[in-house]
Amino acid sequence: MKAAQNFNILYILLVVCQIVLCNYSPLGPYITLSMLPAMILCLPLKNSNIMCMLIAFASALAVDWMSEGVLGLNVAALLPVALTRKTVIRIFLGEDLINRSEMFTFRKNGAVKISAAILTLYAIYLGIYIFLDGAGTRPLWFDLTRFGASLATNWLLALLITGILTPDDRK
Amino acid sequence: MKKSNLISNLITAAIFIILEIAALNMLNSSSPIQRSWFAKGGHIVMGSLWGTTQDIKHYFSLKEKNDALAMENFRLREQMLEMEAIIRDSIRVSKIRPDGIADRYRYTPATIVKISNNTQHNYLIIGKGSEDGITEGSGIITGRGAVGVIDAVSDHYAYARSFKNHGMNISARLGRNGAVGPVSWDGHSNDGALLREIPHHVVFSPGDTVYTSGYSSIFPPDIPIGITGESRIVNGSTYEIQVRLFEDFGALRYVTVVENIGRDEIQRLERNRR
Repeated sequence: MKAAQNFNILYILLVVCQIVLCNYSPLGPYITLSMLPAMILCLPLKNSNIMCMLIAFASALAVDWMSEGVLGLNVAALLPVALTRKTVIRIFLGEDLINRSEMFTFRKNGAVKISAAILTLYAIYLGIYIFLDGAGTRPLWFDLTRFGASLATNWLLALLITGILTPDDRK
Repeated sequence: MKKSNLISNLITAAIFIILEIAALNMLNSSSPIQRSWFAKGGHIVMGSLWGTTQDIKHYFSLKEKNDALAMENFRLREQMLEMEAIIRDSIRVSKIRPDGIADRYRYTPATIVKISNNTQHNYLIIGKGSEDGITEGSGIITGRGAVGVIDAVSDHYAYARSFKNHGMNISARLGRNGAVGPVSWDGHSNDGALLREIPHHVVFSPGDTVYTSGYSSIFPPDIPIGITGESRIVNGSTYEIQVRLFEDFGALRYVTVVENIGRDEIQRLERNRR
C-alpha cells in the first residue's frame, strides 16, 4: 500500500517536472525531451490497458494544458504508447511478468531488455509526436534528425526515470 | 474465455479510438497549422472517396450507357445508309447499280438475352419479337460480321440459329470484288471459319478481308466477316481457305436484325421458275 502511494506521489511529481521541462527546455528544436512514455511503461502491470490509457490521457493533457505546447499533441502521441505497453513488455521482457503482474527491474531483467522496450515505446511516441508537430511543413531530413537525436537523448532520460519508478531499485 | 478476451479487446480498441479522436480534435482546434493540415488531409481523403464512389456509380450504369450507345450506333448506321442512297440518287449511280441497298433492307436493333457457344448446334435468343416487326428468315448482323438467322419468332423474342452451327452457310466474297463462295464455322474454334469453293485461278493472300456477298437474300453485301489465313486445294479444283472471324461470339450482346424486304418476292420468283 505504501509502495503504491509512493509510486503515485512520484508519478505526480514527474508530471510536474515534465511541465517544467516543456516550458523551460534549453535543448532547441532538434531535441524533444519527454518523460511520459517511460512513466507509462513503469505503471504497475495490474493496471488494465484501459486504465493505462486513461492515466496517459490525463497526464498528457495536464502537460499540454500547462505548458506552451500545442494542446492535444502529447495526448495523441502518448495514447498509442499506453495501448501497446503490455505487448512491448510481453515481447521484450517476457509473458511471466504480465501473468504475475510483477514489475520489471534492472536487476531481474537487465538493462538491455528494458532499453529495448524503452526504445520501442519512445519510437512510437516520437514518431507520432514529430509527425503531428511538423504537420507537413518541415522537410523529411529535419524530422529524421529530430527523431534520431530525441530518441538517443530520451533513452538516457528514460533509463533514469525507470530506475526511479521501479520498486527494487528504490529499495 | 476467448469470447470475453475478444469483447475486452474490442472495448479497449473503442476507448483508444475515442480518446485518440478527442486528442486529434483538441490538436485541430488549438493550432492553425495543424488545422489547415488536417483540412488538407481531409480534402484528399474526401476527394479519393468521392472519386471511388463515382467510379462505382459509373460501373453500375455501364449497362444503360451501352444500351444508349447501341441505339445511337443503330441510328447512325441508318443515317449512313440513307445518305448513301441520297448520294447515289444525286450522282445517278442508279444507272450503274439500279437497286438501292438501303431501300432493300430493314434494320432493327436488338439485345441478346441468351446465347449458346459451346455446342455443335449453337443458338441465340434476342429480345425482339413479332410485335417489333421481326420475321422468320431474317438475318442477325453486327458491324463485325453475320451472327445468325432467325428460325422462330414469338411476340417478344426471336430464336436464331447461330453462325457457329453445323450446316449454316453464308455467301461470302473474297475482298470487295473477288470470288464468291460459302463460308461456314470450322466446328471447333471460337473464331475460326472456312471459306470454300473458291476457284483455283483466283489470286489471294493471307490477310485479305472476307465480306458478305449479298447473294443470299438474307444478309446485305459488304459486311466484313473476317480475314483469310492458310488455304489448301480441295479436289484439285477449288481452294478451302481458313478465315479468322472478326466477331467475338463470347462477348456478343448488341446485334441488328436485318430483313430483306424483297425476300418473299425473290423466293416466289424462284418457285415459279422451277
